[in-house]
Order: sequence, then structure tokens, then C-alpha cells
Amino acid sequence: MKKVFDVVIVGGGIVGCAVAWYFSHFDLEILLLEKESDVCCGVSKANTGIIHSRSYWTPSTLKGELHLRSLVLFPQAEKELNLHSPQTGALTVALIREEMTFLKVLKERGNISGAEIIGPKESIEIEPSLNPRIFACYYDPETRIISPFALNLALAEFAALNGVHFILDEEVTGFESMGNRIRILGRNDWYLGKRVINCAGLYATKLARLSNDAVSAHRFFRGQYFVLDRECAPLIRHVLYPVPTEESKGILVSPTPEGNILVGPNFEPVDEEDTATTFWGLKEVEEGARKLIPFLPLEQTITTFSGLRPTLPERDFRIFFSSSLPGLLHLCGIESPGLTASLGIAEYVGEKLKDSGITLREKRISPRTAFPVFRNCGFEERERLIAENPDWGKIICRCEEVTLAEVKHALSSPIPASTLDGLKRRVRVMAGRCQGGFCGMYLPTIMMQELDCDVKEVFKSTRGSFYLLGKIEDVVKENAPTC
Amino acid sequence: MPRHVEAQVVVIGGGPAGMAAALSSFENGAEPVFLLERGKYLGGILNQCIHPGFGLHYFGEELTGPEYAEQFIERLKKTRVEVFLDTTVLEITKDRVVRAVNPAGVWEFRAENVVLSMGCRERTRGMLRIPGHRPAGIFTAGLAQYLVNIEGYLPGKEIVILGSGDIGLIMARRLTLEGACVKAVVEIKDSLSGLLRNYVQCLLDFDIPLLLSHTVTNILGKDRVEGVVVNKVNTHGQIIPEGEQFIGCDTLLLSVGLIPENDLSKKAGIPLCPFTGGPFVDEYFACDLEGFFACGNVAAVFDLVDYVTMVSTMVGGKIGSPSLDRKPPRHMLVPASGVSQVIPQRIREGKEGFLFIRSQHAFRDAVLSLSLEGREFQAMRIPLCYPSEMVKVNLQDIQWPSEKGEVQISIRGKRIHGVG
Repeated sequence: MKKVFDVVIVGGGIVGCAVAWYFSHFDLEILLLEKESDVCCGVSKANTGIIHSRSYWTPSTLKGELHLRSLVLFPQAEKELNLHSPQTGALTVALIREEMTFLKVLKERGNISGAEIIGPKESIEIEPSLNPRIFACYYDPETRIISPFALNLALAEFAALNGVHFILDEEVTGFESMGNRIRILGRNDWYLGKRVINCAGLYATKLARLSNDAVSAHRFFRGQYFVLDRECAPLIRHVLYPVPTEESKGILVSPTPEGNILVGPNFEPVDEEDTATTFWGLKEVEEGARKLIPFLPLEQTITTFSGLRPTLPERDFRIFFSSSLPGLLHLCGIESPGLTASLGIAEYVGEKLKDSGITLREKRISPRTAFPVFRNCGFEERERLIAENPDWGKIICRCEEVTLAEVKHALSSPIPASTLDGLKRRVRVMAGRCQGGFCGMYLPTIMMQELDCDVKEVFKSTRGSFYLLGKIEDVVKENAPTC
Repeated sequence: MPRHVEAQVVVIGGGPAGMAAALSSFENGAEPVFLLERGKYLGGILNQCIHPGFGLHYFGEELTGPEYAEQFIERLKKTRVEVFLDTTVLEITKDRVVRAVNPAGVWEFRAENVVLSMGCRERTRGMLRIPGHRPAGIFTAGLAQYLVNIEGYLPGKEIVILGSGDIGLIMARRLTLEGACVKAVVEIKDSLSGLLRNYVQCLLDFDIPLLLSHTVTNILGKDRVEGVVVNKVNTHGQIIPEGEQFIGCDTLLLSVGLIPENDLSKKAGIPLCPFTGGPFVDEYFACDLEGFFACGNVAAVFDLVDYVTMVSTMVGGKIGSPSLDRKPPRHMLVPASGVSQVIPQRIREGKEGFLFIRSQHAFRDAVLSLSLEGREFQAMRIPLCYPSEMVKVNLQDIQWPSEKGEVQISIRGKRIHGVG
């Protein structure tokens, strides 16, 4: 007999994991299916990582409503998740007088005590690298920054700790009605759920259309970014927004909780799910960012990347039950501010399911304990950790000061890393200035030992992304020289 | 509680520079001397350089990297230099407290002298801003060298190498010998970055094409590299859109330059030279901050390990030496036209030691010129010089003027284009 889950979540991005986090507070059998070998692989891994304050909500939209709800939920969630989002505050920069109107709108919309519109002189005082030729800034004290990886993983780990089943490497290909249940078809197996929540991010409309539900296909808009060396961190203190365009929040310069600076994104339509960076895209980002910080040290770039926004024509979230399969809830068009709104989305989904007849009975939950981060520990604490386990005394990544203990833990945690990118998202190996030039020497061996796998199974991300071809003698045996 | 250790000398990094500095400071009477190495073995990058070509200047014979390292490892064994392996330094303060960790715990050394010999790291794709996808199969050449020579793995079958630096050239040959196909070495400049002998022995002898004035402008492949797009560049290094070519490959190696590894030096507040990327040093390789020395690639990227050994050995002799006064240096050296780097940048006496100069371009019939306040006080003829080979001058061969001040160093001559 197949197990019947009360709730099946499709997709392990921030939204899927937030939904899992939410439902794991209740006495329910929950399953989460993710097509990649890890959570946080799609839209969730490539965004600006900002918890936008209420100054930036969009009135009379669903995304606006869920944005506000989410902000209420974050403080308690951060406690449970053992996660911290630094409150950096933000400056929205009006370059010319005409843009002042927008600053006033933000101030009114937020109605935040301590928020104010300030002139260039005052702006430079609190943000010395800012372009001195601006017209004015809106200062918002409540904006926070968060690591999207850390949030996504913390939500997933909390859910796993509190009973949610995760199945990775399982792509959902369709749904079938089974009376009052839904059969979820995967590439490897099928599953039964009373309720199914489509949190497939980029692929959400594709899945919705597979179940014959009327929704426009997503249009993808790409955004490219630079990541700057942590040496640049003292350069900026706040999240810096330009005045937004019709299409997007514009090109930002933002600190990250890890101590880097993030620059981007631009906004460009792409045909497919194309996450390449381009010469012109990066140039556009550079030009945009220099309007805010003229002497932005882009020569200190450590990497560039791009992310996609899955958008609907109405540029709003659409969360609706399937007309053909009652009990199947679709979450489409979850673009910016998806990360900020994620907890609000989860709560809203909870209400929808409750309305549809699911009983939410609270259970005792175990809060997530955060594993120590060596870099953030003092030397006394480090001494204690090493005495406990000598792996804490072995530095694997020098740029980010990551120890063998942390790498091993990431490979065996509740939602374990199984790839190099998975390790990067968890413990920041390969994420520093040398981009894996140093730790790349040791990680394959550690992964092979800890995961008990062959070198050919050490992947960067997907199954096709092998890191090394194999042992020299084996490869030479298998392949004649190619030229 | 962290272990506190008093030291006369702490050397950070057990590569060729650190080994020579530790050895010579001990041999000159310093004790205790600690040599801290983050790897499992002494020798640093020499261990993965299994090709010959080391030691011609210093030992008068041709050795492989591990053989060269072995000379020092054996000599160190006969001393009371305390070698700490598997030990990573995380912090140095300006008053020379060195904090390190290893599997035994946290160590705090209070050192009278600190020798910085952390070597260098490789430039990455991100720094070059090469657009495209981010698949597996992009390696810096040195990392690939470690994976092939130490771990015995083949990174890929069809290889494109960006940059004609020495590690890239050496790896082109290595990978060919291991059965891979190196499709091209792509160099943005109109001349070779590495040594001429490496071009001959690693590319010409194996029919590997070298594309000068070209660069990689796009990386394709979602999971693993599937190919790169290569474009010609003009004399200013700008991409010429026409005539781009696609080269199918599963691996891209980057041999696009080395950066002295000075994270720790910065934490200690040691002033760094914008041209070398390493600390400013005087002719004894002492830094501007008292009690600190910098030798080897942490100070400036050298092209021959023999030179690294020479300067590092001198450092040992100067540590604790009363002749090392802290008076302001007489001369500050700065690179001028035709010169990209000069080390040392400070001259105190100008009697012993060397001046290393890296030219900006390849020149023939060149003149190396030293001027003080715009007045040339020394000119030396150099028949040939390449950016890949530092010009080495004995300091005692220079007639240093009696007045103090800034000395500009320039090279003029006929530019050589192509591989030369």
C-alpha cells in the first residue's frame, strides 16, 4: 500500500521549503519532492537576498499583501530557524528632482518611524561612497539582508527535523485524480497526496498547464550580478536602491550577510531558462551601479552569476486551486519579492488548505540548532571545538576559513549536500576570492570518502556536471587519445 | 586555552621561500624558529611541479620541483627549526602575534620576527569577467596541476587553455602526455606570457596551437563545459566581434596570472605595493612594518624559484642582525615607462642584494635607466628582455646617488611582437 500524504509539496526552493516549514508545525504527513539533487537550486539560489521593508510593498496586489504578512512572521521564524538577518537599512536614491515623488511615496507607504528623506550631504554622511551628485535619498531603517541559501536550507532543515519527508532527484511530470486523492507522477516513482502544492518556481506554470489549468506561461526575465570580494565590505553600509522602473526594482548595490557586496540585477527577457551572464548584461549592471557608487571596485569581482524571474503578464503572484484536480494548489508568478514574501506565502497557503478542509492541529516542534561557523567563532571557542573534534583544526577553505568539520557536517546534515555547489551553499567552500582554487584540491577526496562514491560521481551540480573525468589510468584505458 | 609560544622567528608558509628563510635564520643563530605550513608536506607548489627546470642558477644542476624541495627538507631536518604541518595561520597582528590552528588546537605565537612567505594564488574567471554559463570543467591551471600530478586525476579530455603563463604551458604538455587533447592556448596579449623555453618544449614540440591576440569571450555548456567562443582582440585588448570561432572542449584551464597572497599581511596593516601586489620591501626584504619580512611570491611573483631561494636566504641572514637599522630608506623605487614591477622598492644602503625588474613588453636592444628627480644616473644595456623573465641587477653594480629621493626605473628599446 502506498502511503497517503496529507500534503505533497512540489519544489524545494524557498517557497516550497517555507510551505514545508509552515505545515511542519502541524500534525500532518508531509512529503516534499525536488527535481534537483538539492534544495535551493532554481530561482531561490540567485537573487539579491533582501528582506524588503514595508516601504517597498506593492499595494493592491497579492504579492504586496503576502509581503506584509511575511514581515510579521520573520522575527519568530528566525528564532525557530536559528537564523539572523542583519538590519542594514536602505537608501533609495533619487538622482534627479523628478524622482522625489517616488521617495515620498515610499515614506508614506512605509510609515516607519525613523524613516526620512534626506539630502545629498546627509546621505553622504551615512553612506560615504555614495554618488555626491544625487538629488535626495529615502532612508529606510528596517530593510534587512539575508542569505537566500541560509534561509532556504534552514527552512528545509527545520521541516526535515519536524517530520517532513524529502525526496530529491525526483522530477514531477504530472498529476492524476484518484477520487479524493491526487496521484503525483514522478520520473522515478509515484506518490499519493490529499493536497498537492505546486511550488515549482520557474516550472510552476508548466506543471499547472499539465493539469489543464488556465494560466499564462511564465515569461522569464534574467538578472545578472557581480559578487565583490569581502575586502570591499567597508565600502557600503546600507542596501542601495535606485528609483525603480515599471519593470523591476532596478540595479542595486547591497551588502551580504557573508561580507561581500552584491551588484545587480538588470532586467532582460530571455527565451529559455538561460542563466548565462553576458558581456552586455554585465556592462549594463556596471553602468547602473555606478550611478549609485561611482567608484565601485568592480576589479574586485570574485564571480558573476545570473538569476531568472518567472513572471506572469499581470506581474503578480497567482495562487489558485486547480479546476480539474481539486486539492491541487498552484503557486505561479512567484518572482520578486518572493524571498521576502515566502513566509507570508506559506501562511496564505496554510489558510487555503484549511479552507479546503485540512485540519491543522499544532504539534510540539523542535527548533533548529545552528551548527557552529568556524569563521565567526572566537579563538577560545575554536580551541574548545578542536578539543572536541580535531577536524575543526583543519582548514579546507582558506578564503572563507571553512574547516573539515563543517564540510563533513554539511555532507551528513538533515538535508545533506551531495554536490560541490551544495557544499558551497551550506558552508561557503568555493565561494571566496580564490573560487575553489585551494579547496578544490581537497574537496573531491573528502566527498568520495564521506559519500562513499567514485570520483566520477563528484558533481558540481547536476548529474552531468562531473568535476573530474576519472583516474588517469582508467580514462586512458577507456578512451583512445582524441587527437 | 590557546597555546602561547614565544619565538624569535615565525615563518608563515613552507614553500621554497619559507623553507630557505627558516633555514638561514636558524643557521644564522636565530632560535627558536617556527615554520608553519598549512599542507601535509613542506615544499609548497614545488611538490606538484614534477617537470625539470629548477635549480640551474642556485644548484648549478637541473632538478624537478620535488627534488628541489627535498634539498631544503633534508637540510631542515638537521636543524632545530620546528616545523608545524597542517597548520593554518588565521591572523597576524601588527605587534607580531601570529594566531594559527591545527588539529591539536589554537596556537598563539609571539614573534620577534615574522617572515611572510605565503606565496600567491591564481587569478580566476570571475576576475576576468568571462561571461557565459557556469558549468563544471573550469579550472585554474595550478589547481589542475595539483589534481593531475598529486591526485592522479584527469580533469577532461579536450582542453582549451586561456593564458600563456608558464603553468598553462606546462599543463598543456602534461595533459597531452596523459592522453588529453589540448586544442589551443589562447593569449590576449600579442606576446607570450611564459618563458620562451616552455613555449618551445611544451607547445611547439607537441603541435599545440598558440593563438596570440585572442581571448575567450563566452563559455558554453550547462552541466559541463561544452566549448568556448574565442575572439581576436585589437592592440588595446578590446574584442573584435567579427570572426569569432567556437572551440569545442570539455575543460577550460585558466593560466592568467598570479596574485601575491597577502590577506594576512593586510590584517597586520603592512603597506602593500600596488605594482607587485606584495608588501613594500627593502633590499633585505624587510617590510615597512618593523619585524616583518616578505620573501618569495608573497612579495612579488618571481619566475624562477632559484631567485626566491636567493632572496629568502638573505632574509635569514638579516633577521636579528644589528646592522638592520630602521632609518628611513634612502631611495624609493618606482616603475616608470616600460616597467611593470620593481622589487625591492626601498633602498637603504644599496650594497648587497638584487634589484628585480619586470618589463611591460618584450624589448630588444633595450636600455634600463635609473633616474632621480628626472635625472638619469645610471643606464644599463640589455640585449633582450621579456615580461616573463625578470631582469636581475646586483645592487652593488649601481652607483647610487648621494641625495635621497624617488628613483624612477624605466626600460626603453625596440618592441618585440609575437613569440619573439
